[in-house]
Amino acid sequence: MLVLLRYEFILVALIVIFLLAWLIPGKSEDRSLSLFWINVLLFINFLFGFIPVEEGVLFNNMFYTNEAIGVQKMLLNFGALIISLQAYDWLKSNRNAFEFYLLLISTLLGMFFMISARNLLMLYVGLEMATLPLAALAAFETDSKRSAESGIKLILNSVLSSAIFLFGLALLYGETGSLHFSDMAGKLTGNPDGYRDTTLSLLLVFTGFGFKISIVPFHLWTADVYEGAPVSITSYLSVISKSSVVFVFISFLYIALKNMAPLWIPFLMVTSVLTMTLGNIFALRQQNMKRFLAFSSIAQAGYILIGILGASALGMSSVIFFVLIYIFSNLGAFGVVSVISAQTGKENLDDYKGMYHTNPMLSLLLLLSMFSLAGVPPTAGFFGKLFMLMAAAGKGYYILILIAALNMIISLYYYLRIIKSMFMDKSESPIAYFRSSIYSRIALVICFAGIILTGFFSGIFDYFYSISFGI
Amino acid sequence: MIITALIIAISVITLFAVLGLVLVYMERKVAAFMQIRLGPMRVGPWGIAQTLADTVKLISKEDIIPNGADKFLFNLAPLMVTVIATLALAPLPFSDKWIIWDSNVGVFYVAAISSLTVISILTGGWASNNKYSLIGAMRSGAQIVSYELSVGLSLVAMVLLSGSLSFSDIVMTQQDAWWIFKGHLPAWIAFMVFIIASTAELNRNPFDLPEAESELTAGFHTEYSGMKFALFMLSEYINMFIVSAVAATLFLGGWMPLHFGQDNFFNHIMDYIPPLVWFAGKVFFIIFLIMWFRWTFPRLRIDQLLTLEWKYLLPISLINVLAAAWITVTGWHF
Amino acid sequence: MKAILFYIFSVLILACGIFTVTSRKIYRAAIFLLLTVVSVAALYFLMEYTFLGVVQLVIYAGGIVVLILFAVLLTHDSGSLLPPLGVKRTVATFALTGTGLTVFLYTILGRKVEPGSGEFNEPSVKMIGGQLLDLYNFGFVLPFEAISILLLAAMVGCIVLAMKFSKTMN
Repeated sequence: MLVLLRYEFILVALIVIFLLAWLIPGKSEDRSLSLFWINVLLFINFLFGFIPVEEGVLFNNMFYTNEAIGVQKMLLNFGALIISLQAYDWLKSNRNAFEFYLLLISTLLGMFFMISARNLLMLYVGLEMATLPLAALAAFETDSKRSAESGIKLILNSVLSSAIFLFGLALLYGETGSLHFSDMAGKLTGNPDGYRDTTLSLLLVFTGFGFKISIVPFHLWTADVYEGAPVSITSYLSVISKSSVVFVFISFLYIALKNMAPLWIPFLMVTSVLTMTLGNIFALRQQNMKRFLAFSSIAQAGYILIGILGASALGMSSVIFFVLIYIFSNLGAFGVVSVISAQTGKENLDDYKGMYHTNPMLSLLLLLSMFSLAGVPPTAGFFGKLFMLMAAAGKGYYILILIAALNMIISLYYYLRIIKSMFMDKSESPIAYFRSSIYSRIALVICFAGIILTGFFSGIFDYFYSISFGI
Repeated sequence: MIITALIIAISVITLFAVLGLVLVYMERKVAAFMQIRLGPMRVGPWGIAQTLADTVKLISKEDIIPNGADKFLFNLAPLMVTVIATLALAPLPFSDKWIIWDSNVGVFYVAAISSLTVISILTGGWASNNKYSLIGAMRSGAQIVSYELSVGLSLVAMVLLSGSLSFSDIVMTQQDAWWIFKGHLPAWIAFMVFIIASTAELNRNPFDLPEAESELTAGFHTEYSGMKFALFMLSEYINMFIVSAVAATLFLGGWMPLHFGQDNFFNHIMDYIPPLVWFAGKVFFIIFLIMWFRWTFPRLRIDQLLTLEWKYLLPISLINVLAAAWITVTGWHF
Repeated sequence: MKAILFYIFSVLILACGIFTVTSRKIYRAAIFLLLTVVSVAALYFLMEYTFLGVVQLVIYAGGIVVLILFAVLLTHDSGSLLPPLGVKRTVATFALTGTGLTVFLYTILGRKVEPGSGEFNEPSVKMIGGQLLDLYNFGFVLPFEAISILLLAAMVGCIVLAMKFSKTMN
């Protein structure tokens, strides 16, 4: 049990440590020291992920783990570590650093339970655990009204989506008489006569998932929440939170609903087209960097849906691979926005004009991240998208691929717009040169290396492919 | 079935009336006793009919609804508080045969119902459109919500010891001795915590901030007059009765006569006193305790009140639950 | 007798539910919500599932509604009427709820519902408690513990948001 629940036990231990850290005397004076140790702990937590994971079931199918799930958890751990490094500058001046980490780790724990769930109950509990503390985190800057607004918007939306989701799960349970994915798969046999019963419940469940991944008809909360929340939380929401729900969505679709593919494939197709297109169109006209990245992350979610549509081992591994690259490139972009915001408080696109002349390294990193998000060839982002489109091509969804390609061209425009304003535009008052803390620089260097190198190590994708499964 | 329901309804209403009459009279006499005076002496011998006269006065008073009050809610609040008090009466065993609803979750049910009282108080205070009422209602809400925790936890400790949520089962577990005698430290602590916290839940002195006369005129029921005011008063006394009955059942054996050990001479003597008398005696003993508090302790300040709950009673009762669990697992109680 | 009570409570649930959403006074809406959840609890009692009924009372009536009422009392201007719905919104609301109702009726009426056979035996509280903490026999100890961590996180989150530091402390 200890071995299978390893990831979760470590996180629980971290939660207890952060809770008891209050009792350490004199902690408010040298917050940088405690932040150092916290990051070391998170790093150790990440390193533990390299110990191979065995396949196993606990608590009567409520908890399941195998190598693929281990890898997914490791990716999330890794992302959390990078975000923690990036948040250093911001947390140094915040009194509630321990609570920040406590809440962050709780959401991570919720995600782990959710990913490991092969049971609707654990799925729901994990999902709640992964979102509720996030609302507190989004409102973490208690002085800022926008942060409070973002928190309240996040919690209202997640409560609404949870209610819809739960209603769907209840109907699904009523139809199948079981909470376990495997039993449900046996009952949901894809008999067209049963469609009338299942369509409604699946629609509600997908709506719940859709809210969390923020795919298009359910994306309206994203921009406001992302804009108001502290940058670290925005990146956490857009990368970690989203990826974890994508992972669990995959296992839900591929295991519980594997016989219902004719029903969910059209749904995913429509939403992925909508998500890509509308996300891109809205991203075109954003001035605030956080809002811009929010909409770009909506568009990215659309591409992820295409990967899921592959419904094969290739599809699943391409999504995991894409998430890895997405962690690097989006966290790289958010990292730059984060250090600039922490240093100067500037978050608008106009402020970035002429930044290349004052902060060449940051500009270069942002350039790489943008290229990677846009999928320009030498960067890793290209390979991520390529594999996902290949997975979709394997099923013959050529029109979908065409639409995706068109959307990538549109997206290239607005990613290039930022690069243009950094490198080519002149500004009276560009952001002055500054050196960020060693922690954020480490995080940025990791992202930098990841964006360049991940694409060239074919071993990574082969490994993901070897542990993935399809329908 | 309908006839049973009717009989129960009539007896409950009678019980309400009698309790109201008796408890108000008792309160006055106890107060007088504590202050070395006589209390009401004019109406009837020793003033026995004093409460009756008061009732007549209350009924004949004008029923005032203040301008700007939310009429619907204003009228609903006293009704609600009475209904809730009635509901909580259902699972209490008055004697070995007298029990309205022998529920298997009785303790839990009473705890649930008594948590609703705060809603009617909040409603009454809010609907009155009066700042004193509103402040009183808020205080009352904060107080009840906080002290509910300790009440619940002390109930949990006793449920752990007796191993059941049903009142009649709990009474039966006290055949050889009442829990206050055989439950060791956890039972004593739970008893004390329960009495303190439920006094606070009843909004009685020394926890009567919601209606503190010197600050808030009369708190949440400032604007109420006549029968509606009487309903608030009545349900306060009914609630006091219920709390005492719960305490008597959980800690002092309910209707169970004073027994020690199994089947000995002493137990047989005690069995000659009817269960109903035992029950009433215990309940009125605890009511007397609660009235005693009123004339002994000064009123707390709001911060002292919350400190008492959150910093003392709650941790104590949490640890107490652990201790009770430990004793139950090891079987250390007799 | 039971059937009559069932219909009385069902009508209460529906009526109070409608009043909850149509009332223009927020406090009244909360009180109607209270009546709704209490009626639902009454239905559970009617089905002789007392444990669930009491849980409903504790969580919804005693917990959530009280919380809502507190929030209303703390809100500025809670006594004034909410702005009336315009024509647009009314139409939109009716359209949405109508669609939802149609879809649900279509789905539910399409199902063949068979009346259950046999008596319902309420599980004892001991069984429920044992099941909640059982490690092996289909027990729910993992979600139970997971929820305890969720509650811890929620508590810490609330405290962080509500806590105020005096300026001199920093």
